[in-house]
Amino acid sequence: MILQLISAVFLGLLFHGIHRKVIARIQGRPGPPVWQEILHTLKFSFKQTWIPKTASMPLYVFIVAVSIAIWAGGFFVVFSGGSLLLLFAVFMLHKITEHGLGLSSGSPYGKFGAIRSVMSAASEIPLFATIAGMYVVTGSLMISDITRYQAIHGPLLISAFPMAAALYLVILSKMHYGPFSIIEAKEIVSGNLTEHFGVWRAGLQVAYALKTFVLLWVFVLLFIGALPWWLMLIAMLLLLVSLSFICAFTPMLSPFDAVAFETVVTGILVGYILVLGVSG
Amino acid sequence: MFDLPVEGEQLFVLEFGDIVNYLSLYTGALFFFAVTFILIAIIARPEHQTDIIFGTDAVYTKDIKPESLRFQRFMAIACGLATLGAVSSGDLFNFTLFTTLIGITNIGIVAGGDNRYVLNAAYNYGIVAMVATVFLFGGAAMALGTCGTLAIWELAGKGLVPLGAKMFLVLGVMGEGMAPFYIAKAEITRAPGAPYVLMIHVSSLLIFLRVIEIVLTV
Repeated sequence: MILQLISAVFLGLLFHGIHRKVIARIQGRPGPPVWQEILHTLKFSFKQTWIPKTASMPLYVFIVAVSIAIWAGGFFVVFSGGSLLLLFAVFMLHKITEHGLGLSSGSPYGKFGAIRSVMSAASEIPLFATIAGMYVVTGSLMISDITRYQAIHGPLLISAFPMAAALYLVILSKMHYGPFSIIEAKEIVSGNLTEHFGVWRAGLQVAYALKTFVLLWVFVLLFIGALPWWLMLIAMLLLLVSLSFICAFTPMLSPFDAVAFETVVTGILVGYILVLGVSG
Repeated sequence: MFDLPVEGEQLFVLEFGDIVNYLSLYTGALFFFAVTFILIAIIARPEHQTDIIFGTDAVYTKDIKPESLRFQRFMAIACGLATLGAVSSGDLFNFTLFTTLIGITNIGIVAGGDNRYVLNAAYNYGIVAMVATVFLFGGAAMALGTCGTLAIWELAGKGLVPLGAKMFLVLGVMGEGMAPFYIAKAEITRAPGAPYVLMIHVSSLLIFLRVIEIVLTV
């Protein structure tokens, strides 16, 4: 389990590197090497680190540990075929850690990042709609049951395409440099991450690598089904490249546009689920 | 024990007659998370806010003494304890009671700020929370009137609770958990005490997660 967790961290960091590389190539830049994020994390791990005088202690440090812990928990949930509702909880708790990161430093940039983070809670609503739809279609929220359902009835990517699109939007909202990455927009420096540097940033890199790995993994599991590990990695990579294409071509939305867009998608999905539930 | 493929296995049960409080893998995780943030609220010191003086390059740091936030800290701890009750309760009425208590303590956390704009906001949130109480208790009353019981243990998996009651419960929780309202307004940038302000969002999200579990279970 520990070995898989460490592998997931490195693969997640590698995915982040590939994401940056793909965006750069589309935009006509050479871009960093694909292992750049792994190097970043190692570099941050050994850089001089201190705690800002304005920070709320121990919240400033603790929130980094909570961030890693919840995504390690998310990894365990998917690995053990556990409840999708628990993964939804992990995703929501991630919102609290994003908010805590920004508030704890005392920096105005961190605080604005934190505010945008909670405003963009609208991005979690499509995830809930996906989960509710899954329950209507498969009759279970256990990931193991859903993969078994697909083994019998075929991939849900085709039969439940609107739900797949909603989860895709959720993953897109969590990608770096994407249209919904308002919490780390450059007009607020690095948003809620501004004051977390050195080893704290390395910890966050680890947490976010796990997050990316878990989200890509769960998408493939929920909408394509259980695959051999090498095929799973290829499917995750293809999914990532498709997300990178969107990030490369789409400008960052304003905070209110981002929330409005996600709310409209949720509304459409709720309508779809109601029709699905009523028609059986 | 009810065994629905929704929230993972049941870990702990505490029976009070027909009211059965329980922790599943899901609610247990929420419970643990709430305990963590209660501990943070107890031991953490408030941050020193750095503000920009608009139109200039200057910044200044506010000096906030922990003594001035004593009431906020008390309210944050009370809010955390109410959250523990809401996530572990096995009865719809107790859930609504704890959720209402979360709304009250959330207002207390906001009102603890020594700033007239923040106090004005606390007054507005109070009105929202009061209105939300109607939906919460209305939802529980509809469930009782339809099913004859409020015990989640009894109602689990039977699908007896009407959709309207479920919608009322969700609406009530959205009103009591004021994080989205609070965050969209300017006074969040003025309110000091990060560990306590964070408790507003912890409680709001945890009761939202709990009501989702309840709606899918009953």
